[in-house]
Amino acid sequence: MFNELDPLLLSQLRLAIMAHLMVVRETDFNTLKTQTGATAGNLSAQISKLQEAGYIEVEKTFKNNYPLTLCKLSPKGVEAFETFYANLKSYFDNHNGG
Amino acid sequence: MENDEKVLNPEESLRVIRETIDLAKNTIRENGFHFLLWGWLVVFACVADYYLDVVLQHPRHFMAWISMTVIGVPAAIIYEWRRDKKHPASSNTVREWYGRVWMAFGISLFIVIVLAVRAQVSPVPYILVLVGFATFISGTLLRFTPLLVGSAAMWAGALICLFLNYQEQLLVQAAATVVGYLIPGYLLNVQARNKHV
Repeated sequence: MFNELDPLLLSQLRLAIMAHLMVVRETDFNTLKTQTGATAGNLSAQISKLQEAGYIEVEKTFKNNYPLTLCKLSPKGVEAFETFYANLKSYFDNHNGG
Repeated sequence: MENDEKVLNPEESLRVIRETIDLAKNTIRENGFHFLLWGWLVVFACVADYYLDVVLQHPRHFMAWISMTVIGVPAAIIYEWRRDKKHPASSNTVREWYGRVWMAFGISLFIVIVLAVRAQVSPVPYILVLVGFATFISGTLLRFTPLLVGSAAMWAGALICLFLNYQEQLLVQAAATVVGYLIPGYLLNVQARNKHV
């Protein structure tokens, strides 16, 4: 049986943001932009959607007098990603193993 | 503006996760600066201690170790400060653990040296055990096999010290440091250049 995949994560950029944050825990906006290859506008829009869903936490701060936007996964986001991955895995298990 | 709303299928989702995680791993790579800095300082201190003690029979042969701390600690702090200024970066779990391992190592090292001096035994094998431990964890965190090989060399060096006097132990420590710090340090630099840390 295959559980539904979280529709919020069925977007390339939102899934990439979540997967990146699963590895590094916390990162700044520019690193995310470099890592995902997204435009600033699109990245900002997708971060807002993930933030509204409570999956990531955004902190706006300063470092050496420059604005710095830090993003990290919330516990709800970690759970959402883990569930997404588990459902994905069960999908492939069902399709490959019968 | 395109808002990237194309719905992924399971195959595409898995590909996005795999590619992103592979890329993210590059952000946790370290270069070899600290291994080379401390590696050369330890090798120099071991050889200097041996030379002062065995050849010159100088009563304060251990002074070589103080010079290592005086040079190494400020150099390491300045390097980290400049790197942090240049790349106001992102913290991440692996970097955090990496830093904590070496902080714990520093504290343990200090205590072990105090205990060994107090007990009037050579600290060298105990230092090698601690260095091997910290190097092993670093190698695991960075997924870098030369550091794992290096940690094995440190532990082997510690066991070999069982059969040697203090002066001979210094030469074992120097050799273990070449394998455990210097070779992985140079290889980490090569990797950092190729992967653009």
